[in-house]
Amino acid sequence: MVAPKLRLKKLLRFLFPILVLLILWELLVDFKILNPKLLPSPSNIAVTMYQLSIPNFLLIIYLLRSLYRLAIGYGIGIAIGIPLGILMGTSKHLYKLVSPVLSMLISIPTIAWVPLFLIIIGIGDETIILTIFLGCFFCIVYNTMHGVRSVNKELIWAAKMTGANRITIFAKVILPGALVSIITGLRLAIGYSWRALVGAEMLASITGGIGFMIYAARATFATNIMFTGLFIIALGGLLIDRFILGTVEKRTVEKWGMIRRIE
Amino acid sequence: MKLKESIETIIYFFISIGIILVGWEAFSRLNILSPSLISRPSEIFAVLYDLLSKTAPSGMPLLLAHIYSSLYRLLYAYLIALAIGIGLGILMGQNDKVYWFFEPLITLALPIPGIAWAPIFMVWLGFGDPTILTVGVLAAFFPIVYNTAAGVRSIKKELIWAAQSMGADEKTIFFKVLLPASLGYIFTGIKLGLARGWRTIIAVEMIAGTLWGLGFMIYDAREYLRPSIIYAGIIVLAVTYFVIEGLIKLLEKRTIEKWGMVRKEAI
Repeated sequence: MVAPKLRLKKLLRFLFPILVLLILWELLVDFKILNPKLLPSPSNIAVTMYQLSIPNFLLIIYLLRSLYRLAIGYGIGIAIGIPLGILMGTSKHLYKLVSPVLSMLISIPTIAWVPLFLIIIGIGDETIILTIFLGCFFCIVYNTMHGVRSVNKELIWAAKMTGANRITIFAKVILPGALVSIITGLRLAIGYSWRALVGAEMLASITGGIGFMIYAARATFATNIMFTGLFIIALGGLLIDRFILGTVEKRTVEKWGMIRRIE
Repeated sequence: MKLKESIETIIYFFISIGIILVGWEAFSRLNILSPSLISRPSEIFAVLYDLLSKTAPSGMPLLLAHIYSSLYRLLYAYLIALAIGIGLGILMGQNDKVYWFFEPLITLALPIPGIAWAPIFMVWLGFGDPTILTVGVLAAFFPIVYNTAAGVRSIKKELIWAAQSMGADEKTIFFKVLLPASLGYIFTGIKLGLARGWRTIIAVEMIAGTLWGLGFMIYDAREYLRPSIIYAGIIVLAVTYFVIEGLIKLLEKRTIEKWGMVRKEAI
């Protein structure tokens, strides 16, 4: 009975500072203390958002296109990254060979690859998807590998002694043991992908997308479109992290009591 | 034991890098990879040498001038972000009202990729350093303030009460209880902020850079279809960040690890 009320209170407490900031911003711009051409007022941004999304669906189409690219790039990253990470984690030598190189590759800003892909592949979806893939791939492999390596040896021995075969050990011991790290990797990776998406769309898109929209608006100094895009990016990133991955985490590791806090 | 481990890591690292380079070169020589698109390692090293032997107008080798530009931008942006981020973070940690006001705003701004701010600041501030620095500060600031606030708030009230009941004044509590106890979190933020700031500065250099900076160098090479310069740039980026990160880790080892306050974390 108390829970929904508490939730509402939490939501209100979350929204209050945002509202204060928006009102202050609106007033400062309306009274021309800040230049409305350079800093559009929140109401102007809201109108822009409406104009872009309802009459001609442009914003929605762009958003869907961005999400489509994200889904494919991230999907491929998971599909290759997790099996590869497991494979590398099971061999001690492979792990030692790969892990320093991987940590170096992770540190390279993903966007640095974009000019290269622009030469090799050219402008378009392939370059963007490849960039998103690279943005999340190393992180997924690294954390999966780490998770598999960190499974307690004693647990595996114990399972062996009770007569478990290799498949059972893998499915019942190694995989659950590595899951916390794998999920951590996935959660970090979606953030990286989201960032890579925006960067890659700025440099390599001619067919829409949120990053493209922000960058293209620069040519006409349309700051209201830029802020619209920024708002969508912020909201999208938050929703993906909180609702999709937060839920996945709750359903799996938290339920099994293996939670580890991440930033 | 520790020394042996790190030597082992280094050996493994060079073995794997060696395998990659030799394999790459071999594939390229066998014409399996097109050398005009995927440059050979030998060519990349030749380009690196070339970039080091040519001098910029300032008298520095060309490559070093690019690295220098990126690094001083990182330094300034990072220092500003640290000062504001840790300051506000501690304030948020100590004062509930401040926390409840800024927390939603930071939560909303944290997932925004630094580069998404770039077009707006390009309209406001134009090309070059002002834009690159500002966006760099923004990118590094949010993880720092977020983790600092979380760290200060994670301190058990009992610790502060204990100090208070023993007669410690505000200043002592701050320096002897609050700061040391939240340092683990703060360091997480510092490292995360560094990574984000670095990535963002390189990215913004690509779209708003003027003549210098590693990001600019890489993006400029695209115009002349010189993939070897891009590869060289990527290698330099990796090595440069490796060094910076090494310095931060050294600092961490000398301080919080020694004091036993390190937190486990993922990469």
